[in-house]
Amino acid sequence: MDKKHIEFLKKDCEDAASWSLDMLEELKNKKIFIAGGTGFLGTWVAEFITYLNDNHQFNVSLTILARNIDSFKNDKKHLTERKDIEFISKDIRNLNELSNDVSFIIHAASSPDNRIHVSNPIDTISIITKGTDNLIDSAFKLPDLKKILYVSSGQIYGRSIPSNKLISESDFGPMDCNKVNSIYSEAKRLAEATCCAYVSQYKLPIVIARPFSFIGPYQSLSKPWAINNFINEALNKKNIRIIGNGEPIRSYMYPADMVVWILKILASGKRNTSYNVGSPYGISLKNVAEKIVQFTDSKVDIDIKYNNDDSSLYVPDISLCQNDLGLKINYDVEETIRRAISWFKL
Amino acid sequence: MRKKVYIHDVSLRDGSHAISHKLDKHQIALYCQAAEKAGVPSVEVGHGNGLGASSIQVGFSRLEDIEMLSIARENLTKTKLAIHVMPGFTTINKDLKKAFEIGVDLVREACHCTEADITERHIAFARDCGKEVIGALMMTHMVSKEILLEEAIKMQSYGAEGIVLYDSAGAYLPENVREKISYLVSGLNIPVGFHAHNNLGMAIANSITAVESGAKIIDGAIRGFGAGAGNAQLEVLAAVLEKMEYETGISLYKILDAAEIAQENIIEELPTIKNLSIISGLSGVFSGFSKPVSRVAKEYELDARDIFVELGRRKVVAGQEDLIVEVALDLKKKNSTFNSSSNG
Repeated sequence: MDKKHIEFLKKDCEDAASWSLDMLEELKNKKIFIAGGTGFLGTWVAEFITYLNDNHQFNVSLTILARNIDSFKNDKKHLTERKDIEFISKDIRNLNELSNDVSFIIHAASSPDNRIHVSNPIDTISIITKGTDNLIDSAFKLPDLKKILYVSSGQIYGRSIPSNKLISESDFGPMDCNKVNSIYSEAKRLAEATCCAYVSQYKLPIVIARPFSFIGPYQSLSKPWAINNFINEALNKKNIRIIGNGEPIRSYMYPADMVVWILKILASGKRNTSYNVGSPYGISLKNVAEKIVQFTDSKVDIDIKYNNDDSSLYVPDISLCQNDLGLKINYDVEETIRRAISWFKL
Repeated sequence: MRKKVYIHDVSLRDGSHAISHKLDKHQIALYCQAAEKAGVPSVEVGHGNGLGASSIQVGFSRLEDIEMLSIARENLTKTKLAIHVMPGFTTINKDLKKAFEIGVDLVREACHCTEADITERHIAFARDCGKEVIGALMMTHMVSKEILLEEAIKMQSYGAEGIVLYDSAGAYLPENVREKISYLVSGLNIPVGFHAHNNLGMAIANSITAVESGAKIIDGAIRGFGAGAGNAQLEVLAAVLEKMEYETGISLYKILDAAEIAQENIIEELPTIKNLSIISGLSGVFSGFSKPVSRVAKEYELDARDIFVELGRRKVVAGQEDLIVEVALDLKKKNSTFNSSSNG
């Protein structure tokens, strides 16, 4: 990663820190263990924590567990060549024990990439379910365990919420467990149920985050999601193709907001409570494409194929996080897309 | 408003099989010009088995892929230039990158109907390069609609913008088409298509059934110019869909002109339904087996039809041509046992 990218991230971290320092006091001088720490969410946590250590004396140490850390080490030397981050290359299913000085755990091990879910459904289930069991078992004996944050998914709400309203933490829709594309969400549901069981039986301090959609630094444009494809097409001067009618409503949180939310939920989330993490500002895919054309200044057309009549809404209600944890959104839709494009253009 | 059907022209790819992949530059240029004039939405060009397939294993093309695609590109403006791609034959660095540099618009990413997993890298690469990608599941008569949907969902997840079911052996009856196409249409968010072969004389009927079942992409070949008994005859498709008041964007007179041009300049022998094609369709064996089966039957003094039926029973797929000899030896042995016990 070059200097331009690092400076960009530093600015994002400065902005995030400007409103969140007091909220994250509980994390100071603690050790955080992140399973799946080389993914999008884990990398942002590492980025922000190291910023807080360097600029605000947080003195947090991180242990990052991932199956393959080689490419991460090559790409992100500004994170890997530090003394406050330790790496463990291991499958979460083979984890035996955690260091006694771990106080906080973030369990983010599992990819949200649906290509992986349909190609390797058994492994997908196994990582989520066995990984969760194994990690919580390993955390059991920690003498100073403050909190385990399980990173679930907004996808657990199912495919069709009855009314066209923002999705709150209790709005569960139907899900067909016999479909391969339900594998990920069903496994996530089971993992949440596992967390609930440990809380109930052993009173473990587990809290759950349900991330929705994000766009910005540390995301890959080759991910198979609409906004990633649109930006990729516009930056490559290709027409933006929308498979359906352009009417589905989605929302996108900027990662600098996300990382504060995740850490605040880790620090202060109530035991056995699930929190939506995402932007409440819905936007149709057609409007997303229009904004991308505008902000990339690309002379490309938007080709709406009208191959389906999906007009679903996948936008979180975030009032729980706002009211109970004092969290807020700092980047609206336009700013999120604009800043994400600036990053991808670097 | 008239409903739209997208007709995809496979003449210069599937038709390559019929002339042992010997398309020349003049033929490609002539046909592309004619297809462009007729308003054909996309024309697929290349070796019969797709990009990078020219080899001793499945036969050499007269021209390199790059030459074929370049000459097609020069003669196509509004009509999209398409390629047929199969992991195993096609590689990203050797083939796809070059094809994209030439200006290919549309990728048909094909695989056996139960192996969609192997298409992920190609689809991702093509989408990253801004290309339109349609997934192609071949030999789809061999598995149930449920399995087809699972495989199609994989391709959809990888980024395919449509899924076409290939009746590679020409084995379908309309009721099979209806069952599978409608099931996929209801289970996918992307358009579904159908690629017919005419082994049982059902190519047009099956294609129309597909449209009536919700398919939005139909493959056709001019004069049916394709492997074995050929494909759905494109100009007939255009005419029938016109009569049914579907919008294809194809000018009927001009596609009829294109058919004349192709017949005079490219097609050595108009596709007919030969005996072995019928048996191949009934047995559900890929039409491309006809030539090696005939050769082995002659060598072992067997009835080629018996070999086809046994190959169908064993559910062979393209790439398993070496099984033909094994089947012939088994049949030979069975025949000699039967003869000796009859004599004794």
